[in-house]
Amino acid sequence: MRSRIYTIISGHFKSWYRSKSSIFWTIAFPLLLIVLFGAIFGSGSTKFDLYLQNQDLSANTPTYFSQGYITVLNNTGAFNLHVVPAEQPDPLTYVKNDAQLHNRGQRLLVIPLGFNATVMSGKNATIQLYMDQSDQASASLAGIVHSVTVSYAAAIAKAPNHLILQQVGIVTKNIRYIDFFIPGVIGMTLLTTGVFGAVNTNGSYRELKIIKKLATTPLSKIEWILGMVGYQMILATISLVVILFFGYAIFGVTATIDIYTVGLVVAASLLFPGIGMVLANFVKEAESADAAANAITFPMMFLGGTFWPRETLPDIMKIIANFMPLTYVNDGLRYALIYAEPAQALTNTLIALGLASFFIVLGSVLMNWKEE
Amino acid sequence: MSDNLPASLPGQSDRVVQVDKLSKKYGDNVAVNDISFNLTKGEVFAFLGPNGAGKTTTVEILECLRNPTGGRARVLGYDVSKRSDQAQIRKRIGVLPQDFNAIDRLTVRENINYFGAMFKHQLDADKLIELVDLKDKRDEQFKKLSGGLKQRVGLAVSLVNDPDVVFLDEPTTGLDPRARRDVWGVIERLKSQGKTVFLTTHYMDEAEYLADIVSIIDHGQIIASGTPDQLIDTHGGKKTLIIRDAGEEGLKQLPQGLPKAELRNAGDIAIPLHNGELTNILMSLAQTPLHDKEIEVRRPTLDDVFLNLTGRRVSEEGN
Repeated sequence: MRSRIYTIISGHFKSWYRSKSSIFWTIAFPLLLIVLFGAIFGSGSTKFDLYLQNQDLSANTPTYFSQGYITVLNNTGAFNLHVVPAEQPDPLTYVKNDAQLHNRGQRLLVIPLGFNATVMSGKNATIQLYMDQSDQASASLAGIVHSVTVSYAAAIAKAPNHLILQQVGIVTKNIRYIDFFIPGVIGMTLLTTGVFGAVNTNGSYRELKIIKKLATTPLSKIEWILGMVGYQMILATISLVVILFFGYAIFGVTATIDIYTVGLVVAASLLFPGIGMVLANFVKEAESADAAANAITFPMMFLGGTFWPRETLPDIMKIIANFMPLTYVNDGLRYALIYAEPAQALTNTLIALGLASFFIVLGSVLMNWKEE
Repeated sequence: MSDNLPASLPGQSDRVVQVDKLSKKYGDNVAVNDISFNLTKGEVFAFLGPNGAGKTTTVEILECLRNPTGGRARVLGYDVSKRSDQAQIRKRIGVLPQDFNAIDRLTVRENINYFGAMFKHQLDADKLIELVDLKDKRDEQFKKLSGGLKQRVGLAVSLVNDPDVVFLDEPTTGLDPRARRDVWGVIERLKSQGKTVFLTTHYMDEAEYLADIVSIIDHGQIIASGTPDQLIDTHGGKKTLIIRDAGEEGLKQLPQGLPKAELRNAGDIAIPLHNGELTNILMSLAQTPLHDKEIEVRRPTLDDVFLNLTGRRVSEEGN
């Protein structure tokens, strides 16, 4: 049995490395994406990025003093201000995700609800500045914001201490967009090689009567599927190693390969071929199966957190993304490889393994080995 | 040949394939209807018929790829319907499916070893490559081979486990005449080695040339069985005198009193021959302008057998 599975794996692998287009889609294309996206979103700015949430609104319009403060901040020319909607209940998470996507520093200034009333009542009003003390720009940025605050307080009440700037330290891990993107590319590669691999192999092998021929030998359906999964694991490992090495060499992305990464590679090697096998069962012709695979993989790529954080998606899309298996592989890979958050990595790994078991079993049951 | 043979124990009979009242239905559609035949060790058996006649369905039942809906079939004494027996059958049969292609990016040798690895014991790939005459192509990728060479790889793959019986489903369909003859050469070599071969084909000449026993199947039913000579003698009709390229004009020039002649596709005139008539006909033709035309006496073929049995001919495409 072992020799038969080994033969299946070796046959797939030889076919893979002898096909230029397979090498391109598995290795070169993801690297090309990394270079492109790294170049597009990696450009810096001479101004400081600062997220601003003005909670002090009246009939959806900033109150007089809060708007005045923002205008003064803007007039310094030192900031690129990015508005966080006032109704956003968790502005820090919002900033974290948006900053990763746009490769910005995670700094947030919050003008609290009641700011205007407090200033008018002559009491001290507090503005909160959230930033990572390890952020290289923190000292100068905090200095400018402090100066603006003192000047504004002096201007409106002739009392420089009337406005208090409260600095709150946060740990941002200094995640850049490229750090966010690389696990996404790995997830995307596992998705496409797995789904297309299973769809194309099963579709074309069926058309070429190779599966029919194999079904007349002592090879069992389970051995065939194990061979295909084993081959996917080898491809997944190659993709992971090449992409991480490339990310480190070109963009200095450092990643931690741990047990969760291994678990996720195993899960992806079962999950995506499983989905491919389910598809191949419903769409018999190789060409149509290819179209069906595209229809499945593209939405997953765009909504499953490959290119940008899911939190930035519209609410309905967020809900849809929760049903996409790639979401959990991407999140798991990010938590394991980059964020080093084992609890989150474990949760996503377990969900991915659960989905993998479901799809590989369903795919195996549905796959026609005999002709009927 | 006989119907209703009792089942033999595995390995204890010369009857390699026993089929008894076998049927296969798909809903209301009857693909195979109550057929019976046997195949003896060392025979080349041709299952002959047009496309859709039920050949592939039958052969795939024998290969344990489909389940019959009625009747019984045994291969090497094992029941094709029993799961435990199917495993034994798969170890000992060789199969070349219709339109089979090996793995594109593996070489000839790698393909033979790939399929060979599915069995506990496999023949040496180089010996098989020699048998199918592909020594020069052994390290060539499959996708780079011509149709005829690909089919020879398929034959080698079907023999890789040194099978007791080889099922070849339409092995020459779509090949050019030369490639077909090459494949015939390989099948003849198998025959000379004493292999039992179950061949399905819609080519009458192929069955006539290669087979020891022919069963003709049409609309799911076997309509005749026997050696090619027996079938031709019984159902082939009379010998025919052919006058080449005579055309409509020639038809008018035929002397009175000859059997009813017909004009065939290429402009040939065909005159059915009754016993003892040949000399008389030739003498009367000598008095006409047709005397300098090319004349031959043609023995009936399996084509004629099929025509006489069904009222139609099978086209080159098998329809």
